[in-house]
Amino acid sequence: MEHLGYLFAAYSIIFGAIFLYVVFIWRRQAALDAELRALEAQMAALKEASTAASVPEHSET
Amino acid sequence: MSGFAAVLRKDLRLELRSGESTLALLALSMLVLVVLVFALDAARVRSVDAAAGALWVAMVFAGMLGANRALLAERDNGAIRGLLLSPLDPATLYAAKLAAAFIFMAVAEVGAVILMVLFFNLDFDGSTVRLAPILILGAIGFSALATLLSAITGRTRGGDMLLPILAVPIFVPALIAGVKASAAALAGAPFSTMGDWLKIMIAFDVLFVTAGYLLFEYVIGQD
Amino acid sequence: MNNSAIRNWLGYATLALMVAALFMVFDYVPPEAEQGIAQLIFYFHVPLAWVAFASFGLVAIAGIFYLWLGDQLWDDLGYAAAETGMVFCTLMIVAGSIWAKPIWGTWWTWDSRLTTTFILWLMYGGYLMLRASADDTPQTARFGAVLGIVAVLDVPIVIASVRLWRTIHPAVLVTKQGGHGLEDPRMVATLLVCVAAFTLLWVWLLMLRFNQLLTRSRMGALAVRIAFASAAVAGGK
Repeated sequence: MEHLGYLFAAYSIIFGAIFLYVVFIWRRQAALDAELRALEAQMAALKEASTAASVPEHSET
Repeated sequence: MSGFAAVLRKDLRLELRSGESTLALLALSMLVLVVLVFALDAARVRSVDAAAGALWVAMVFAGMLGANRALLAERDNGAIRGLLLSPLDPATLYAAKLAAAFIFMAVAEVGAVILMVLFFNLDFDGSTVRLAPILILGAIGFSALATLLSAITGRTRGGDMLLPILAVPIFVPALIAGVKASAAALAGAPFSTMGDWLKIMIAFDVLFVTAGYLLFEYVIGQD
Repeated sequence: MNNSAIRNWLGYATLALMVAALFMVFDYVPPEAEQGIAQLIFYFHVPLAWVAFASFGLVAIAGIFYLWLGDQLWDDLGYAAAETGMVFCTLMIVAGSIWAKPIWGTWWTWDSRLTTTFILWLMYGGYLMLRASADDTPQTARFGAVLGIVAVLDVPIVIASVRLWRTIHPAVLVTKQGGHGLEDPRMVATLLVCVAAFTLLWVWLLMLRFNQLLTRSRMGALAVRIAFASAAVAGGK
């Protein structure tokens, strides 16, 4: 079959690129989740500190 | 005096006093044409296509320089804030900037046309004059686009280099139409044959003057 | 979260449809008479083109809503659309080029379709470069919105002028206008499935990235409030 090489190249590039983009999104997501956990920890610490100090808290949720 | 006229007069007067930007514009146009003469080896054969192409290249370069200029003066010393605090509305400011950019570009165009005729072995005749409406349409469109975009690029790190990157792809239709119409005019063709190209340029101009007028307020925010 | 369940289902549906599309392209559709097997690239090239342009339109629509409503959500959507659109636009050009080589004997030709798509690609690139060269502020988001709107308004004029450009001076190579003159109904069916598969893929990727950017924006706002609250609590002691 002539031109099979071109067909193969086109399809592999297309799906390869899409796969790479998904990986890119996935890795960004992992970093984002780590940041989110850090923020949640900060919030928990804040809650403890404010109830411990009995400072009237502005309702900020 | 209306705000529009005031800003326009300020810009023109600033320029008339020093004249350095106009000189730079003309010099740049000429040098671009010189480069193209050698690049295209246009000395040997009379070619309206090469001449038209070279003319538009020079115009686009000059146009971008002029557009950067239009907002540069205010940006450098924070005078933009002053302009914004005035009762002048952003749309009118845009119109004034556009007019100033257009005038500078028109001046550069006159110089470029003269040089083009000389460098590319053409004649100063009716065909040269018939370039005028085409170049005016092109200058309006490019000034409209560049004035709007330079408000954006002036405040980013990419700065001067980003303006061509943004402006050129968007300007492509007017460029294609302008070069084709110019080449036709130089070859002596009547305007009726260029109808489609002229329509494209007019559509481009209407679109971008309107868009700039409406959108300028969103890009000219606080510094 | 309801949204993440929707995204997962979108992902599965995309996968299923893409498998079906591949089956149809390689096993079902009859080969085209003149062009040989490389013609099959056409079944991905066309959907990629449609998605690239659609995404571009979405950038502009999101830009309009951002300027009108001011909600960061619209800017995130626009940016996600620009990113995914850039991916598909690039692939469309690459696929088109690989298709061109065996059929027309050259890697590139300035035919009207490829030229217009290339201009689109340049505009996408400009948008992304603008966003990359400026900080993440509402002003930058406004810049992006304006650029997106201006670029999309330009697209019809680009299409018209490029088409005129190529017809008045006959092209070096005559374009094989894929999409017209598909004789066999099996070809039409295959093309439709491929368009559906890629559209779904686009929507899925868009939702993933959009959700990511949205989360990041909201986390940014939250981090600021936490910082203030920390300072308040520390000051109160």
